[in-house]
Amino acid sequence: MITALATAGLGAAVAFRARDDRMEAKPMAEAAVDLIVDRVAKVFPGPQGPVTALSPTSLKLSRGSFVAVIGPSGCGKSTLLRIIGGLETPDQGAVLIRGKSPEQFRAEGELGIAFQDPALLPWRSVRRNVALPLQVLGRRVADHAGQIDALIQLVGLAGYEDALPSQLSGGMRQRVAIARALVTEPSVLLLDEPFGALDQILRRAMNVELQRIWMKSGATALLVTHGIDEAVFLADEVAVMRAKPGRIAEIIPVPFPRPRDPALMTTPEFHEICDHLAALLGEAGDEA
Amino acid sequence: MKLERLRAIAIGVALLLIWELVGRLAGRLLPPPSEILAQYWRDRDVFPAHIWATTRSAAAGFLLGNAAAILAAIAFCRFPLLEQLFRGVNIALFTVPAIVIGPIFVLVFPGDLPQIVLAAVLVYFPTMAAMLVGLNEIDPRLSDLVRIYGGREAALMRFVRLRSSLPSLLAGLKVAASLAVLGAILGEFGSGVRWGLGTFLLGSLSQGDAPRLWSIGLAATGLAMIGYGAFALIGAKTTGATKAVTLANKLPDRLGDRAGRRGGAQRLAILLAAILTPFVLWEALIAATGLSPIIAPGPIETLSYLFVSPDSAAARATLLNAVGETLPIAALGLVSGLAAAFLLASFTVLQPRLARLVLPVALVAQNIPLVALTPIVLLLFGRETLASVFMAVLVVFFPAYVLLSQGFALTPHAARDLVRAYGGGRFKELRLIATPYSISYLFAAAKLVAPQALLGVMVAEWLLSGRGLGNLLNVSRGNLDYDMIWAGAMVSILISVAAYQSVAALERLWR
Repeated sequence: MITALATAGLGAAVAFRARDDRMEAKPMAEAAVDLIVDRVAKVFPGPQGPVTALSPTSLKLSRGSFVAVIGPSGCGKSTLLRIIGGLETPDQGAVLIRGKSPEQFRAEGELGIAFQDPALLPWRSVRRNVALPLQVLGRRVADHAGQIDALIQLVGLAGYEDALPSQLSGGMRQRVAIARALVTEPSVLLLDEPFGALDQILRRAMNVELQRIWMKSGATALLVTHGIDEAVFLADEVAVMRAKPGRIAEIIPVPFPRPRDPALMTTPEFHEICDHLAALLGEAGDEA
Repeated sequence: MKLERLRAIAIGVALLLIWELVGRLAGRLLPPPSEILAQYWRDRDVFPAHIWATTRSAAAGFLLGNAAAILAAIAFCRFPLLEQLFRGVNIALFTVPAIVIGPIFVLVFPGDLPQIVLAAVLVYFPTMAAMLVGLNEIDPRLSDLVRIYGGREAALMRFVRLRSSLPSLLAGLKVAASLAVLGAILGEFGSGVRWGLGTFLLGSLSQGDAPRLWSIGLAATGLAMIGYGAFALIGAKTTGATKAVTLANKLPDRLGDRAGRRGGAQRLAILLAAILTPFVLWEALIAATGLSPIIAPGPIETLSYLFVSPDSAAARATLLNAVGETLPIAALGLVSGLAAAFLLASFTVLQPRLARLVLPVALVAQNIPLVALTPIVLLLFGRETLASVFMAVLVVFFPAYVLLSQGFALTPHAARDLVRAYGGGRFKELRLIATPYSISYLFAAAKLVAPQALLGVMVAEWLLSGRGLGNLLNVSRGNLDYDMIWAGAMVSILISVAAYQSVAALERLWR
């Protein structure tokens, strides 16, 4: 276990970590910090002058933890996620993932991402869509064939390996996107409202699935979402953001043990946290 | 499905019968299909050779032009600055009245090459533009996705852009296929080759033999339609998706998009470079071919012919006179063609069912090579000015109609429902909602067809009326007046570019 953690930062070695090893590493997760967002700020030019998308914001994610970011539109939560993924460069501050910049970290295939839109290549089958990150990283897809099929099974799409995205339902496409995000065995998983386009019923089912898949993967996860119950059900910590300027207002711990059962969502404790978050978000709304 | 096909066949047969009947009654102008078929039989010794020659040139030009177009589109996508520098060249190639460069190619290239190169030139723009739009318009999330795994522009090109541009490319190739036929035929006009539909047409025009003229026009149309249909079929088979029916019309707008971010001085420098690039290329190509400056003058020689040389005044007078004859006709054709297209396209709102019947016809008709129309125009309007006007209207109408009915069809339904919710009828809907919405399509159509109007008039002048710029080029070609050929070509291209740019400027003013 200790060796697993020690080698985790060593680039190439990470890719070949045994899955079981990583699961065992989970209970010790609180020890190490995986991801540091250090006073990151971003200003975008707008039609009426510059807009502060993100005023200096800091955040820490422990290894193997699940953190949800929630807030009103325009609070900078997506910007924060994009900066962590190296898709935007911050004007100030820095992001360190296991001591590396996002650009270095992602070139090693240590980052996985899923968007609100599954963004599948319409001409590729499920299997080849899942394989895309490997190809971009220049790895041989044939070496990972077994792992790809196992992932497709993990997200519940066994039998659909050769289907095209147009033949799948919205929820199934989103599962493909999740499988694709996991194919490089990333140590950090970025989820940008991955179920935002699904209806409430499907969304709940997918949340249960996501918890199961994430627990198997052992990755550190950052979820950006609009859904209060989704955040509380999935996360160890919920960061509440506010707009104008975009910032993290408060971080609320969610202490429920895992694996969490859907029945949790009917308990008073669950609702208490949800109500608390709703109140915080309500204040944020009044401000805006 | 089967029933629909049967009905289509039945309508086709009925139309043929009506044509036959009208043809028999009308006599000379509209020969009945049976007579045209008989004409094919009478010309059976020569027809296959003519068709084969044109097919060969068109196919070679198609391959050449599309190879260049695809490579150029990839380069322009990878290096947007390159695209900005080549904007002048691209617009010139888009607007060039094909008939004016035919004689130049005849001077510069031997054998079948003039037709081939002309076909290639005509093919280049629609394919390049369609492919570039396809390459550029990708889902931004896919770009994020590739970057998340450390992929750069090369990986994005390889995994995402190339494949996503395929439907767009095929739409471009479809149009290019029929343009290749037009290019080959226009090239044959001046090149004096023995075989080819263009040669055949040129030789038959003076005889005014209606069945033969129709047979040539129909053969050219058939050839273009086979190419068009082949790529339409491939497109439908490979992509399955329904892509926009119009091709490249988007590009000219899109060209301007990315210029915005640079500073003023830098933009001016790029603009100047874009204007100069075509002339530099002209000079470079002539230097590369090693032709005598008497046959192939460079830009500087051509300008001095028009402004410095001893007979510059006479040359200018001749050119201005020709331009004065051509321009009003082209403008009249453009405006009336656009007006007719706008009126008919508004039926999309007023009579949706009727519009659904007309659109497929227009879709096909916009790809009929315009030379195939020459015989019909000759038979209907003779050789007078009216023939030139009508030619321009014909060339303008179909593409404009297709684009405009798309514009009308794309007006937001919610906005139209709003009018109806307050009890407004279809005319109110047209006036308040659909017309304002489709104005931008009117501009797009005008930009697309303005150069075509000029080409249509010049073809009519060359073949029929014996006036104006088209005729001047034809006469200069006969007199081996090389300087005038080059000067006339340059002026025609400049007029065409100017027409295009003034529509673009009008559009900006409107916004």
